[in-house]
Amino acid sequence: MTTLTAGISPVRAPAFAHSVLPDLATTRFKRRLDIEFSGSGSEYFRIWIVNLLLTVVTLGLYLPFAKARRLSYFYANTLIDGQALAFHGNPWRMFRGFLLLALLMLAYGVAGRFSPVAGLIAFGLLCAVWPALWRAGLQFRLSNTSWRGLPFSFRGDLAGAYRCMLPTYLPAMLMVVCQFLWAPAPGAQPEDPAFYALITFGPLLLLFGLLPWGLALIKRYQQGGYVYADQQATLSTSIGSFYSLALKGLLVTLVPVALAGVGAAVLIPLIKSGALGQTAAIVLLAGLGLLAYLLLLVIMMSYFSARMQNLVWCKTGSSALQFDSQLSARSLGWLNLKNWVLTAITLGLYRPFAAINTTQLRLSAMKVTVDADMDEWVTQAGAAQQDAAGEAAGDFFGIDMGL
Amino acid sequence: MDAPRLQLDYFDGRSARPQAAEIWLSDGHLHLSAGAEAQYAARDVRWPERQRHGQRQAQLPDGGLLSCADAAAWDSWAQGSGLRDTVTVRWMQSWRRVLLAMALLLAFLFACWRWGAPLAADLIVRALPSSAAHQIGSQSLDYLDQHWLKPSTVDTARREQIARRFERLVAASPADAPLRYQLHFRAGDKLLGPNAFALPGGEIVLTDALVELLHDSPDALQGVLAHELGHVQHQHGLRMALQAGLVGALAGLVVGDFSALLAGLPALLAQQAYSRDFEREADAQAHRMLRRAGLSPRVMLHFFERIAAIEARQTGVPALLSSHPATPERIAFFSQ
Repeated sequence: MTTLTAGISPVRAPAFAHSVLPDLATTRFKRRLDIEFSGSGSEYFRIWIVNLLLTVVTLGLYLPFAKARRLSYFYANTLIDGQALAFHGNPWRMFRGFLLLALLMLAYGVAGRFSPVAGLIAFGLLCAVWPALWRAGLQFRLSNTSWRGLPFSFRGDLAGAYRCMLPTYLPAMLMVVCQFLWAPAPGAQPEDPAFYALITFGPLLLLFGLLPWGLALIKRYQQGGYVYADQQATLSTSIGSFYSLALKGLLVTLVPVALAGVGAAVLIPLIKSGALGQTAAIVLLAGLGLLAYLLLLVIMMSYFSARMQNLVWCKTGSSALQFDSQLSARSLGWLNLKNWVLTAITLGLYRPFAAINTTQLRLSAMKVTVDADMDEWVTQAGAAQQDAAGEAAGDFFGIDMGL
Repeated sequence: MDAPRLQLDYFDGRSARPQAAEIWLSDGHLHLSAGAEAQYAARDVRWPERQRHGQRQAQLPDGGLLSCADAAAWDSWAQGSGLRDTVTVRWMQSWRRVLLAMALLLAFLFACWRWGAPLAADLIVRALPSSAAHQIGSQSLDYLDQHWLKPSTVDTARREQIARRFERLVAASPADAPLRYQLHFRAGDKLLGPNAFALPGGEIVLTDALVELLHDSPDALQGVLAHELGHVQHQHGLRMALQAGLVGALAGLVVGDFSALLAGLPALLAQQAYSRDFEREADAQAHRMLRRAGLSPRVMLHFFERIAAIEARQTGVPALLSSHPATPERIAFFSQ
């Protein structure tokens, strides 16, 4: 077992400080909370394999139960200031929601097979309900997570969930409408190629251009909805920093793309000249292509997810809580690479170990500072009364909190 | 005898302040002493699953939480109090049973692939009205016509001749004839080459290149068409879509949350294996129909020879994952 300890925790302020110096007392409570993750790969492997067997034998019906067990294990091993998180989700309620969602997705899949129009309508409906479902999922996950016996909650409103999706939804809708109105008949050539290019690539560029803004709104809504006791979190990251992350990410991605280009420039003349055998050339090219693709994926995913975690959690805080995250994209990249290689070699058996290692790395980068006497914290009135309809719908989705 | 007691932290669910508490189990009730005393029916408490790591947390029905940092102390208390592990937990705690679970998992996946998916596809195909299959087939043909196929340039008299010959061949084997079939002549691109394929609902498409390839061997062309009729008769198109879908869904359950690419790979392998089975079944039907019509199945050898000649000329990726059985195997079959 490995235990990771983030930071040191100063000795707690003496209790009498409260009565002697009431004005200074609040700052005397300021301290950093240790975050430890004590999960073990070999133990999670055993949980995972039994979960997998039950899931496959029940043709997927066991999934929500497996998920509840997995969350319980990860939560019970996430210790903040010596107290573990607890997952309270009722697997039977999750099961009900899961069945509904499975039917929904089945109907969606079937609709697409029978006719493109029905598929488009189904996709539109899914898009229309998605923000509501996403919010309900957040509500469910948060209200079923507790620490020190107090449940978290999610206070984002429904309109806000729709609002923060607009920068991604509007260009996507524009794209569909353009194609619907002006796309040439299948097989036919467009009458005016320049105009067709404009209506095809214009909305696409708009979508990519607005993506960082949309992401910023989504993260603000999400982080800003987290509530614990009387602490309502806010995310103070500027929209500009999401754009700068996107640009840096693009630059980082360009490196492997450029390398692949150089490789192709060297290899293709070599193959054309016939110096290599036909089969050898194809195998070499396919192998290198796959390698380049995996490398690109590792670099891109690791960079974006590490930097996103830092960007979001560094600026998340409430009146008495401040979060910090210093996750190194490089160490996440190496870990991802190692995880993928070992997962491939073991035909997937390494996956639970990979999950534990990743969680450990991500959590070890996190810090929380508190500036209040937590013993005085109590549940807020009304926090227990969750939006019942939303919670039921929230069983659909397990929303991850970017950790 | 006194019930064993355990000291731990208790949170009342309203305040974040931990309270030192003592718990014990008796008469099916959990007794809690933390300042005041309370009791809960043991079956209403959500007990933690025994694991080596992590804190033990028991969730009380009123929102309270028992938290025990010393997992070993909790476990010995739970055992002394007569709390039993569930079967699932006992399996997860034993490496021997975990290995057994792995073996069972593999066996189950194999059985699903070998028998489960074909059986399920069979049931669905039987339940599906023929109009549905017909609709899917004609839609697919429309799609192919728009994107891939061009009208045939083979002259009408030749087409009618081929169609009439085929009608006679089918008439000779009433048992092997599907309810409905329809021949379509189309010109394909170079990639498609000399080819014939069957769509759900009985649409059989043959390319001009195939007619050209077998221009001096009309019986071999009839054999190829009989092979496609076999696909129609056994509804291989629909079966393939269903079986591939089922195997894909199963693969998605196992590796889906990791990678879509990884989930696609076993599905593709399984699909190729099904495809080879279907081709053998269609070959068997072609063999039977040629015999019944008084033709020698050996006419198919012309077809294989010519296809082999084309493949030798072609420069392409060697087919590692073939959708058809090996040609020598098929030649041997039709030589009988």
